[in-house]
Amino acid sequence: MIEVKELKKSFGKVIALDGASFSAKDGKITALLGPNGAGKSTCLRILSTIIKPSSGEATVSGFDVLKDSFEVRKQIGVLPHNSGIYSRLNATENIEYYGQLHGIQAEELKEKTESLLEQLQMKDFCLRPAEGYSQGQKIKVALARALIHDPLNILLDEPSSGLDIMATRALRDIINGLKDRGKCILFSSHIMQEVETLCEDIVIINKGVVKFNGTIDEFRNHSGSQDLEEAFLKITDSSGEDE
Amino acid sequence: MNKFTAIVKKECKDNLRDRRALFSALAPAFFAPIFLVGMITFMLDKLRGDSDDPIEFSVIGAHHAPGLMSHISSQKTVFKKLKIEKSARELVKSGEERVVLVFKSDYQERFKKGQQNTVKIVYEGGSISDTLKHVALLKRLINQYSTRTGLLRLQVRGVDPNIISPIRVADLDVATPAAKALSILLYLPYLIIVTIFIGGLPLAIDTTAGEKERGSLEPLLVQPIDRSVLLYGKMTAISLFSGLSLILLLVILNFLIPFIPFSDLGLDLEIDPMQYLIMFVICIPIIFFSSALLTVVGSFTKTFKEAQTYLSLMIVLPTLPIIVAQLMNAETSLLIMPIPSLAQSTLIADIIERGELNWLQAFVSIVTTTIYAWFLARLAIFLYSREQVVN
Repeated sequence: MIEVKELKKSFGKVIALDGASFSAKDGKITALLGPNGAGKSTCLRILSTIIKPSSGEATVSGFDVLKDSFEVRKQIGVLPHNSGIYSRLNATENIEYYGQLHGIQAEELKEKTESLLEQLQMKDFCLRPAEGYSQGQKIKVALARALIHDPLNILLDEPSSGLDIMATRALRDIINGLKDRGKCILFSSHIMQEVETLCEDIVIINKGVVKFNGTIDEFRNHSGSQDLEEAFLKITDSSGEDE
Repeated sequence: MNKFTAIVKKECKDNLRDRRALFSALAPAFFAPIFLVGMITFMLDKLRGDSDDPIEFSVIGAHHAPGLMSHISSQKTVFKKLKIEKSARELVKSGEERVVLVFKSDYQERFKKGQQNTVKIVYEGGSISDTLKHVALLKRLINQYSTRTGLLRLQVRGVDPNIISPIRVADLDVATPAAKALSILLYLPYLIIVTIFIGGLPLAIDTTAGEKERGSLEPLLVQPIDRSVLLYGKMTAISLFSGLSLILLLVILNFLIPFIPFSDLGLDLEIDPMQYLIMFVICIPIIFFSSALLTVVGSFTKTFKEAQTYLSLMIVLPTLPIIVAQLMNAETSLLIMPIPSLAQSTLIADIIERGELNWLQAFVSIVTTTIYAWFLARLAIFLYSREQVVN
């Protein structure tokens, strides 16, 4: 469960988040949707305790990102925008390293790594150094690394960028599998089709403000358009007129 | 495995797999002593020849100056007479001759009239050889002859020769040639300090700017680890490589220094394994100091390139106090012990030169440098706790 209330964040004079509020429920896939520079990444980075909010509140499984940041980190698995894996280590080593940082003991870690390798179909390349991995393979490693401690909440920052159709499908299946296991999944995207096929709930964010938070059907009704892309453009456009 | 060990292990493994980084970290420790010992042996070889080797040169127009030539040949000399076919200048330029002494044809006539004569010595002074030594010795012989002749002339005219030399300088250079050659050994402390810094440099770059450039820092900071554990792990890994580099250097020195022909000079320079061990212990704080310093500076950099520039500059830093101290002629004292790098290098110099160590001074240097290292480490942890570290 992720809850964000009146979140504000500015970098110098640039306001990235201007009082954003939304929530993402357990067992649901929630999309954080918005144009480039809308504040999606800032939001995810605050939730992953990398940066601190200027004001407002954000909680993950009830833990405050400011006051209980250490506890929050235990509750989340984060897939960063670029995979950020170590190129001289192989997939197994990359995954095990993060397991160790979570304090998972050797035997248990071996089992968990093994099952993730299996689950994400990484067996055939997991012992090669990550240097030569394709984008899809890298994302898989980064995802496995984010899931090694079996977190309740999963944050994905534009996970499908740079992936081909097969890899995107595989990723979709994995995310759906996580949902079925009751995880709270929040992922940022600007690709409508992806959001439409994957999510029930959406949060639309533009210029640091949340424009909509609800189910996709509610969104269609709210905007009066059956085409999601149209609806999205409408809602982000109207915010442009405010200026 | 606890988190700290996991970090140290991962950083070491990562760095060991980067062959190029590993080479650049350990190369100085490997090649510098070979170079150093080679140079000392070479210089000693040159200098040892000093007293025995004859002065070698060629001469044009020797028959014009029989008096001077007989004075010169009274010393140990080897010379050949040349016919004037080419100019002396060309002979030297082309490398056919190294030192050529030239007499003009009117030498004898001017000599008899008591006029001043000019003799030319043509040589190429820039080359690395013993040419300069030959020239200096030849000049000395000619000056001797000139002075003696002058004095005789004055005496013949009934003038006290001392009238032309109201002041006489007697200089005495106590440095023996061997001591000069061995002064290269004074670079050893400096080499040791720099080796420590270079040993940890590639990993320091990789673990700070490298993590940022790869995009692996953000996911790493999302893990539930204390920043202090993370940073201590990283700095420990850097220290391990610095230490490894230092050990390699000391082992190679231990092996190579006996090859310097000290006994030929009647000298006895022996650094026993125990003394190497003491040097290592003295340097442990500077190992921590360097890894913390490199991490602090690295935290401000975003790319490999940037880090390479700034961190390489840091290698110059430990040499500054050494240079300043040399300029100010600082002696080993308790006062300089709180200055990192200077303290260690003077202590090492003491061990090498005198084979002894002031334990109080060593203790003060170890304590103070460790304190600085700790402060720098805390600073690194603070810098990594700010959110600016990922921006």
